[in-house]
Amino acid sequence: MKRRASGVLGIFSHLDLVVKTIKRLKEEGHQDLRVSSPAPFHEIEEVLESRVSPVRFFALIGGILGALSGFALTIGTSISWPLITGGKPIISIPPFLIIVFELTILFGGVGTLIGVFLNARLPKISLDTTYDPRFSEDLFGVFVSCPKEKFHSIAEILKSSGAEEVRFEED
Amino acid sequence: MRFSLSRRNFLKMLGFGSASTALSSCSSEPIDKIIPYLIPPEEAVPGIADWYATLCRECPSGCGLLAKIREGRPIKVEGNPHHPVNRGGLCMRGQASLQSLFNPDRIRTPMIKRESGDFQTISWKDAEKEILDILKTKIDQQKTGEIAVITPLIKGSLERLLKKWMDAFHIKNHLIYEPISYEDIKEANRIVFSKAEIPLYSIEKAEMILSFGADFLETWISPVEYSKAFGNMKRVDIKRQLIYIGQRMSLTAANADEWISLKPGTEKALILGLIHFILKEKLHSDLPFLELELIKGLVKDFSLDRVSSHTGVSQQTIERIGKEFSKANPGLALGGGIAVKGLYATDISVAVNLLNYICGNIGRTVRFGHEIGIGRVNPYRDMLRLIESIEQSRLKVLLLYNVNLMYNLPDSSGFQEAIKRIPHVISISQFMDDTAKEANLIIPSSMSFEEWGDYMPRKGVFGLQQPVIKPLFESRGFGDILLSLVRSIDEKQKGQIPWNNFHDYLKNSWKGIHKDLSPEIGFDHFWEGSLRRGGVFRAETDKEVKLSTKVSLDSKIDLKDKEDEKSSTLLLYPSIKYFDGRGANKPLLQEISDPLSKIAWDTYLEMNPETAVALKVVEGDFVSVESKDGRMELPVHIYEGIRKDVVAVPLGLGHIEYGRYAKQRGVNPINLLSKKTEEISGGVIWSPIFVKIERINKKKSLASTQGGRRQFGRGIAQALFFSIGKGILHLKTEKDIKKEIKEGKKRDMYKPHPYPEHKWGMVIDLNACIGCSACVAACYMENNIGIVGEREVIRGREMEWIRIEKYVENKGNGLDIRFVPMLCQHCENAPCEPVCPVYAAYHNPEGLNAQIYNRCVGTRYCSNNCPYKVRRFNWFSHSWPEPLNWQLNPDVTVREVGVMEKCTFCIQRIREKKEVAKEEGRRLRDGEIIPACAQTCPTEAIVFGDLKDPKSRVSKLWNSQRGYRVLEEINTKPSVVYLKKIKREI
Amino acid sequence: MRYSKDITYGKVNTDILKILEKPGKIYYFLLFIVLSVLSVGVFAWVYQIYSGIGVAGITHPVAWGIYITNFVFWVGIAHSGTLISAILYLFRVSWRNSIYRSAEAMTVFAIMTAGLFPIIHLGRSWYFYYLVPYPSQTMLWPNFRSPLIWDVFAVTTYFIISFIFLYMGLLPDIAAVRDKAKGFKKKIYSLISLGWSGTDREWRHHSSAYLFLAAMATPLVVSVHSVVSWDFAMSIVPGWHSTIFAPYFVAGAIHSGLAMVLTLLIPLRKVFKLEEYITQKHFENLAKIIIFTGLIVAYSYATEFFIAWYSNNIYEQEIYKYRVIGDYALYFWIMVIFNTIVPLLFFFKKMRTSTVSLLIISILINIGMWFERLVIIVTSLAHEYIPFSWGLYRPTWVEIAILAGGFAFFALLFLLFVKVLPAVSISEIKEQIEPPRKGES
Repeated sequence: MKRRASGVLGIFSHLDLVVKTIKRLKEEGHQDLRVSSPAPFHEIEEVLESRVSPVRFFALIGGILGALSGFALTIGTSISWPLITGGKPIISIPPFLIIVFELTILFGGVGTLIGVFLNARLPKISLDTTYDPRFSEDLFGVFVSCPKEKFHSIAEILKSSGAEEVRFEED
Repeated sequence: MRFSLSRRNFLKMLGFGSASTALSSCSSEPIDKIIPYLIPPEEAVPGIADWYATLCRECPSGCGLLAKIREGRPIKVEGNPHHPVNRGGLCMRGQASLQSLFNPDRIRTPMIKRESGDFQTISWKDAEKEILDILKTKIDQQKTGEIAVITPLIKGSLERLLKKWMDAFHIKNHLIYEPISYEDIKEANRIVFSKAEIPLYSIEKAEMILSFGADFLETWISPVEYSKAFGNMKRVDIKRQLIYIGQRMSLTAANADEWISLKPGTEKALILGLIHFILKEKLHSDLPFLELELIKGLVKDFSLDRVSSHTGVSQQTIERIGKEFSKANPGLALGGGIAVKGLYATDISVAVNLLNYICGNIGRTVRFGHEIGIGRVNPYRDMLRLIESIEQSRLKVLLLYNVNLMYNLPDSSGFQEAIKRIPHVISISQFMDDTAKEANLIIPSSMSFEEWGDYMPRKGVFGLQQPVIKPLFESRGFGDILLSLVRSIDEKQKGQIPWNNFHDYLKNSWKGIHKDLSPEIGFDHFWEGSLRRGGVFRAETDKEVKLSTKVSLDSKIDLKDKEDEKSSTLLLYPSIKYFDGRGANKPLLQEISDPLSKIAWDTYLEMNPETAVALKVVEGDFVSVESKDGRMELPVHIYEGIRKDVVAVPLGLGHIEYGRYAKQRGVNPINLLSKKTEEISGGVIWSPIFVKIERINKKKSLASTQGGRRQFGRGIAQALFFSIGKGILHLKTEKDIKKEIKEGKKRDMYKPHPYPEHKWGMVIDLNACIGCSACVAACYMENNIGIVGEREVIRGREMEWIRIEKYVENKGNGLDIRFVPMLCQHCENAPCEPVCPVYAAYHNPEGLNAQIYNRCVGTRYCSNNCPYKVRRFNWFSHSWPEPLNWQLNPDVTVREVGVMEKCTFCIQRIREKKEVAKEEGRRLRDGEIIPACAQTCPTEAIVFGDLKDPKSRVSKLWNSQRGYRVLEEINTKPSVVYLKKIKREI
Repeated sequence: MRYSKDITYGKVNTDILKILEKPGKIYYFLLFIVLSVLSVGVFAWVYQIYSGIGVAGITHPVAWGIYITNFVFWVGIAHSGTLISAILYLFRVSWRNSIYRSAEAMTVFAIMTAGLFPIIHLGRSWYFYYLVPYPSQTMLWPNFRSPLIWDVFAVTTYFIISFIFLYMGLLPDIAAVRDKAKGFKKKIYSLISLGWSGTDREWRHHSSAYLFLAAMATPLVVSVHSVVSWDFAMSIVPGWHSTIFAPYFVAGAIHSGLAMVLTLLIPLRKVFKLEEYITQKHFENLAKIIIFTGLIVAYSYATEFFIAWYSNNIYEQEIYKYRVIGDYALYFWIMVIFNTIVPLLFFFKKMRTSTVSLLIISILINIGMWFERLVIIVTSLAHEYIPFSWGLYRPTWVEIAILAGGFAFFALLFLLFVKVLPAVSISEIKEQIEPPRKGES
């Protein structure tokens, strides 16, 4: 089943036009935009005024969990079966810290991955109908989700601001 | 009955284990029980070892053994502490003796030679018939003079039985043959003291020993006995010294305070020079005027300067030795080693006797009246006569019992050809050796562990040998063979020899001993006691001897010894590993490296570095060695402990036959010997042999277990020096020790281990250790250590848990060779433990560094991190060809490939004794637990015990003034303390 | 850095996706060689397991040999990948973008290769899982004091993180491939592209995650080779027990890694005609870093000898003397010359601009660094505290075969990679080139 959303998609081939369009749409009060691009662009992010990604917190939490489990594993297992080696104490912290460090990084990394997936809604089973294969090449897409009656006004805006192609998506 | 050790068979053995030990070795009908060393077993309990006293027959010295029996199989032998010869100690060869019992190459059935020349198995009945036919025909033809019997040194009942048996068959000729014999000493004693015997030497009592080529720590007469005595002598007073005079630094010389190297064949001159000096200086003990004049007469030409120039020993040295030796009270001069068995062997022994006599050692350290057994051996001359009579075909039947003449007689003797001309050669032997191969009829004789017997190494020592296992194969004891033969001839003989089996005969003849020794107690009681003890031992009183008036010796300095300048002198010496060659087919003896050369699995030519440079050869290059009588090719081993004009080769290898381990391995130097015998005693002329040495274009890498040869100031084998008057230099004081302990504590980052119950520790006295490697052998036998073979030894993969490290120092007394037994040090801060990722190595609560084989995955990190390099890795799984595997110790795991292993301080023995103590509800006694290495050590250099017990011997020695721990500076805190060697500073 | 003007977004896609087209003869030829070498290696390992580790030349006292050498070598190779992809990313070094992909892939494959050797090295390889922390029925866990366990953790973490990092970067490009692919291929690519559609939301989280991963990979890469170096530094073996090992090894690792990047990129660029994307400038920059790491390595060598002399520790001194004039002197001199002298040639512009000299020098450095590890491991073990048990190590054919097999395994993975996934990052090059603008405002 395809994810359907009602709205208008404008396809551009120039970055500056995309940016202009977004500005205009926002002025016109259209907040719900989705921009597709072949690469990340700060211009776009700026005009969209999107929040800072929360992935960082996932990384942090992952890291902390890692550190804790590191301590738990090393100290716990050493106590559960105390064997003396090389005249060192059963709980020899310095070597254990290495394990702790590695696990911190490991869990941090995994946390980040999870963060991306949750936030970016990945993985997707199937692509949006509004997706155009050329987005991964050299075209930009601006999708404005809106009720049917607004279609024409938005199409106007898109066309006038240089969209090469305009599509209507209805559910 | 052939066994293969399947589980079923093993269980069977559990079943009749006790039975098989209790049964007599030989004939089928059950006879007397054999009696264990300690408690008589109601039933041999599986899992519990019984100990039986018996004898070691690996060489003529006749040590007493205790055999450890598990589930009906002897798995380990140890010295019998009651036996006066070895007093609990045992040498490498004794330890390996079980490998001759369980040797895979033993002859298993009687065999007869077919026309085609290969052997065919026959039944005992047929075999005996064969023999009888031959003997009967000779008797009928009245030609029993054509029969000769040759045996090794047999003493006591067997000898008497053989006598009777020979009478029954009207056989006259019986030769007792031992390749290494001492007829020169015997002869010299006849000449000097008119007493043709080999005396008893009290090394313990001697304050100073002068050894002229007598290697009494290796093979000379009774090595274990003398090693033990040597150890005690050193213990009594550290400053007692041994001076060795000879061309080669033998193991004995390496343990001497000084090695004096003199020109080949000039020993006589040196000794007479010493006498001359002592008499001149009037240092001798008071002698009757006539004797004095007599001796003076004999030594008149041997003035210091002449002797010195002749022998190449400096005048000061001779004077010094002369002074000190005459001062020693008593001293002891020894001679008659192979090294001096040359053209003047007897003269040298005569001179030695005189030297002892004028210093008043006779009757104190040289004691007569004990009739050491080896004195009964026929000299080489008699063998040559025998060969002659074969050549003149006056000899048609040769009955050989356990003698390997083909190997031990030089080719020049002509025996190798002669034997082919004898119609009937009957070989009663354990192995298909060089000689057995030549026989027409082969009778498998039992190993000493399978048969009853007794042996008298000297007067007053009656060793009893009881069987500890049923014969593995269809073999029989010599005594039983004789009896069953005699039984099947006419009635008259039966009347004279009524016994059914040798056991009966033995018991009967012991009735006689019982009568002489202790008639007061009942015989059965006496018999049982003797079996349990391993014999009866009585202190014999010495016999007085006085100087014969007819003392004489060829008393002129002659320089004709050296033939031409180019040729160098070859010295042969019996190997501490193979003795005269009979050890060659024991994998263990092959595997253990020689204490001095550190080479295993091969024969080599020892050569002085300078000679090697002159010849342009390096270690492992082959040279051809050619004497008048033979030629051989062998690799060179560079050894600084030998004179420039001398080279040496150990005996023992180079067998043509004799089993998988010995066959075609190494060369047999005996074939360089000449047919000539020494005029007076008729002994072999072992040295000097003049040889031409040429480099040949061939090389091999010798299986050496040694890496670096020096210590590079690492203080692994430490020594202290003493000088007469000054005493021992740099000996630690109590204050130093206290300081050390304090600093030791300071060095630690963490607090010490608690050790709730025990803390096992070991002290090794390097002043007692002679490097004989008996401990190594004991360790192999106790711990199922794998034999890897020559190729792997070359790669450095030998498995020894304890090794004798040899280091060469050039400080102090010129060349100084030191030995260190190196085993797992069971460190308190063991570097091997923390690096193991899987906890295979850890420190147990009793201070042992434990190794858990089935955890080990084989990262080998522990081995890298062990500063002592005592961990050994199983690069392959090892195999023990049937029935060698019967000897494996059931208390010790057999390790598989990919596992690290090492010394455990014989943890299985610790366990055993702890359980015993627990059952008896008592604390462990000090000295109750003895690891295999410590137990066998002939000089008692190794002491093991509990450091938590302040009264234990090991605790007392722990902080000795001579004590040190190897690589102390890395603070691994080993549980092994070494006591520094003490050497005389010159 | 700037690419030539005529590179447009569209061109980037077409050019780079061209790499993935049906391979030519050379490719198959290489594949054949690699596979045959690999099979020899595999045979050798099977033979070793069958008849016992003893068929390798390692012995007493040199219980570690070529296998551990390879482990350290390959872990080292991995590092520069991370350096280029993560560290240079953090520093916003623009020229990294077109080469980081292959570097990062190299990292992942190098770790995979490295991971094999500790297992091959074990006396009982079939019990390798004893090193993994899992509740065995005895409930005895690994000994966390052992550097080998640190290795297990460090290398595993490094592999996982590097893999995630590589995959993150790949996502948009896989999407690009997907959009061009047809039929069955398309299915596969759609699957692994996880439905990436380049929306602003995706880009936003993606780039922030990318940043954090880079930030985490950076300390990780340092820690990993430090841990590897501690396998030696934590022991008491003279010549191993040294405090400078960690930085010394990390520098060495990057040294060898950069060389390996060159060795891989130069043919890649040639075969797939990527001159426009991977330019001389890239190689030149790499060469400059190599000079730098080479100097660090040289300094470490010098320090070791100075300390040995200065400490006045006879064991240390013996070892270093032994390295220079002992049985393995040849290896030592190969190591010194190839790692410290040869890289200095890059001071000459000619040397760093001609691909031939670049290739040769980079290979020499790889050889040199391999010998560095061998020298460190073998000489120290051969000449430890107890002179009596000094010994020699002679590799056998088994070890050589497995060594070659290791290289083949690595090469195989890389060959497959270039044909399956874009070996040059499409989206990140686009970040670098001027986006299409109309220009009027």
